Amino acid sequence: MVETVIELKGVEKTFRDFWMRPLAQAVRGLDLEVRRGDVFGLIGPNGSGKSTTIKMVLGLIRPTRGTVRLFGLDPRAKAARTRLGYLPELSHLHPFLTAEETVLYYAGLSGMKRAAARARTAELLEELKLSHVRRRTVGGFSKGMARRVAIAAALVASPELLILDEPTSGLDPIGTREVKELVGRLAAGGMTVLLTSHQLFDVQDICNRVAVVSAGRQVGGGVVADIVAAARDKRHALEEYFEERLNAQKDEQ
Amino acid sequence: MGRFLAITRTAAIETMSQPLSAILFPVAMLAVHLLPALQYHRFGAPGRLARETGLSALFVFGLLFAVPAAARAIGRELETGTAAAALALGVSRPLYLSARIAGVLSVFALFFVGVFSATALSSFSCAKAAEIFTAEGVTRVWGPAFAVGVSGALMAFAGAAFLNRFMNRRFCMWTCLLATGLQLPGLALLESAEPVAAALPAFGALAAAGGVYVVMAGALATRLKDNGVAACVVAAVAAGFLSPVRCLVPDMRAFWLAEGDMSATMPIAAGLCLMALWLLVGCVSLERKELE
Ligand SMILES: Nc1ncnc2c1ncn2[C@@H]1O[C@H](COP(=O)(O)OP(=O)(O)O)[C@@H](O)[C@H]1O
Ligand SMILES: [Mg+2]
Repeated sequence: MVETVIELKGVEKTFRDFWMRPLAQAVRGLDLEVRRGDVFGLIGPNGSGKSTTIKMVLGLIRPTRGTVRLFGLDPRAKAARTRLGYLPELSHLHPFLTAEETVLYYAGLSGMKRAAARARTAELLEELKLSHVRRRTVGGFSKGMARRVAIAAALVASPELLILDEPTSGLDPIGTREVKELVGRLAAGGMTVLLTSHQLFDVQDICNRVAVVSAGRQVGGGVVADIVAAARDKRHALEEYFEERLNAQKDEQ
Repeated sequence: MGRFLAITRTAAIETMSQPLSAILFPVAMLAVHLLPALQYHRFGAPGRLARETGLSALFVFGLLFAVPAAARAIGRELETGTAAAALALGVSRPLYLSARIAGVLSVFALFFVGVFSATALSSFSCAKAAEIFTAEGVTRVWGPAFAVGVSGALMAFAGAAFLNRFMNRRFCMWTCLLATGLQLPGLALLESAEPVAAALPAFGALAAAGGVYVVMAGALATRLKDNGVAACVVAAVAAGFLSPVRCLVPDMRAFWLAEGDMSATMPIAAGLCLMALWLLVGCVSLERKELE
């Protein structure tokens, strides 16, 4: 059974200033469908509306036009968001909490039982190489370490749907690889993942489907295996495809 | 409920972890013990001086830390996206806002307990000093209360430093907890419940007003920056002193005139209503906000 987890239909978003004058048309008509079991990559240049799209999926902002469905519900409905893990683009954590407390806090927000939360937290901190700093407050962490804590927090409740906004930003190459492997394992375990990234090389490795967005419009996309099969340089297939789609769009204008 | 408590607890830890709280808590308690002692020549009505010092400490120090803390607890969270991370997990916005504000309110309540205990002891100590003056013709503090109260406030720093050094506990948070906790043993020195009963009405009423300012600050922080919130609360306090806009802000005129016979029921009831009103304002505002 193929179940649609996220569905966007004709979604537009215009940011407005205090006087309701349009500031930026971040999304200009986007149709997306993420199905259960997908590892879906939303790729596009900076400012193309990826984070805005994710915020609409999460019900944090409302689309100006169009509909967004999360598990078939309005994302503003609480029930739609109880099976989620979310890693924001900029993971600002509570600076006075320790790494362990931070992850436990998010476990608590997801309604986990104390004992299960403790066990899962220890496991994740170990997996993300944070065990040795679990008692330190995250205010003093480096960007990469804070990012790992945020990833652990997103994963702690073993969500059905994981939404990652640039998961590898701020991570070193080894950290990037580890996170990639972790996401790969989770996806193999049946978790649905929606992620954005500029690291097309990584996206190619872990995603099964992608959508290319530019200036708020979808300009390409499809099954990653097909894109790789059609490419001349298999290693950089997605990069090639990405550039080709963006150039094609420029030519149209 | 578990979610509510998780958020409340985090907000409370955060509030007490601010260095400002760690300074204001012990200093407020210290002030309640020291300031009346500097003015013992004024003990016309035994204990009244101490009660007024206590009320001032609760008002000035309490608002100084609780209002900015509430503004920060909501405003900064919304700005940095920490709130978005929580709301994305199926926490409803009203629950989130109420729980964060409750966290700050619980620290304000802790502060209240500390200052109130200090005041009860200090006012009893003033009465003792008056007795000493009548009997011996000299002005001096009543040793036991002074020693317990002052050392309690100072020991908070030492205790917190010890806990931090040897048990890795949060220094600022434990300073707040100990500053309050170490005022409680002083209550054992009271020979009757009279000092407590005399101080309670005005304190209760003032604490209710403080609670309203905290909730107001939290509600306004869903839309305004820290400075804007501070300005609005200051305006609300001023409005309460000058000519109360009774349906929106607490009436501040009664507290400093209050002595033992004042009833606190009305101000507290009014305070609770105003808190509910401002919480509702905050919830509606947050519900309609775009969390960019
Ligand atoms: N809160 C906001 N107010 C005004 N404009 C915004 C806001 N958030 C995003 N934008 C604009 O919307 C566009 C898309 O932003 P974003 O979704 O963050 O891009 P991406 O994540 O793809 O880099 C950008 O032009 C950005 O300037
Ligand atoms: Mg982005």
